Amino acid sequence: MSEIHGAVGSYVVNALDPDELEEFEAHLAVCPTCTREVQEFGETAAELSLLASVTPPPTLRSSILAAISEVRPLPPEPLAEGAAAEPSPAVSETAPAERPIDELAQKKLALRRQQRRTRILTALVAAVVAAALALGGVVYGLVNARQAQVAEQAEATELLTAPDVRTYTATMKDGGQISFVVSRSLNRAMFIGKDLPAVGADQTYQLWTLEGQHPIPDNLVAGGGDRQEFFRESLNGVTGLAVSVENAAGAQQPNPSTIQVVTELAA
Amino acid sequence: MNASSVPPDTGGQPVRSGSRSAADRGRETEAAHLVELMTLSSRGHEEAFAELYDRTSQRIYGIILRVLRSPDHAAEVMQEVYVEAWRQSARYSPEKGSVIAWMTTMAHRRAVDRVRSVSSEVARDERYAFQGGDREIDQVWDGVEQRIDVERVRRGMASLTPIQREALTLAYFGGYTQSQVAQLLKLPLGTVKTRIRDGLIGLRDALGVEA
Repeated sequence: MSEIHGAVGSYVVNALDPDELEEFEAHLAVCPTCTREVQEFGETAAELSLLASVTPPPTLRSSILAAISEVRPLPPEPLAEGAAAEPSPAVSETAPAERPIDELAQKKLALRRQQRRTRILTALVAAVVAAALALGGVVYGLVNARQAQVAEQAEATELLTAPDVRTYTATMKDGGQISFVVSRSLNRAMFIGKDLPAVGADQTYQLWTLEGQHPIPDNLVAGGGDRQEFFRESLNGVTGLAVSVENAAGAQQPNPSTIQVVTELAA
Repeated sequence: MNASSVPPDTGGQPVRSGSRSAADRGRETEAAHLVELMTLSSRGHEEAFAELYDRTSQRIYGIILRVLRSPDHAAEVMQEVYVEAWRQSARYSPEKGSVIAWMTTMAHRRAVDRVRSVSSEVARDERYAFQGGDREIDQVWDGVEQRIDVERVRRGMASLTPIQREALTLAYFGGYTQSQVAQLLKLPLGTVKTRIRDGLIGLRDALGVEA
């Protein structure tokens, strides 16, 4: 524990290598000390930006202001809403340094842990997914079988049992059967891949949400085998989902020549 | 920033004034104002966001450009960061930290991600990270209080040991991973990790930054 604790500085300056990043984020979820240090060091690192200050080109200002006028700000997250409007007594009575870990961050990290567990259960799920895909992507068999088998997959179950859940199945350009499981009411989507083709050692599958023509980078999915992964972004304003193959670090814009699937979502 | 670009006259002592200075109060007022602008932005006030841009863009663009070196890439990442800040404005909460830290963190992460995905295209001239900063700062910071802030951070950096300073500089301004920093400095990875963390602790204490 103490060794991973020492990675907090490198984490804040985004200097962790990918393996250690995953390890540290798992640690962060359970370590209030590191969580506090991440926030403090974040403030410190921000001060360093004073030393780099440069006036941006004036054209950038006008292009950014033009861009935002076409983008709708997301609504507040349900958890943040109450906290922002009137801090709960528990929070306001606590000294800043002793504040509980930000609830939202905690929820996100819990979700990430859930996703990790989910990956471990992939083998189990794969058989069911195969059956579902064979039936042309009928999701209800999937739901029933999985509810029984994988009760602890609360997030996945919630999605799969949402009243408005829809499954979009597709075959990727380089082969491999995939499904997007989507619930507009939960604003969540999950990617399920069956027999994904392997990718290069320095490559990964990357998920994207699309807002019209605008792709937003989402979670990465390793190649080869059966995989399932939640989309990180909520579906507010999202009109489509896509998968591409990118360099291992992921990309900010999809590589047009390696886009595997683009699926338009029903409103 | 190497030792020669930092005023050498602080004797390694952390700089902390006993009473709160006008500059301290100015920073707090500015921080509170940025929170207001962010709140207005979340309700769709574009003019508030324009002011937020004007008050933060030099620092945000500066750090992106410093990491990426390429003005073309920097402009793209800058646009991504501000559009994302606008989109996420309702999800910013002061409990997560200051607006400038929230935005700087986002900008730095995206710049570093970009560096690592395009590193073969961008010529990596690590010397750049150690040069040229002072002249740019002088062009940008005209106000007395802003100059005081810059001086304060420089003195904070000067209070670190040379290895702490260099490790932190290569990681933060250079956008290198800790294992790349270890290679560049010819030090064991564990040492680099510790120096980066110690450097941030030293700087935090010197600046008296509160989370």
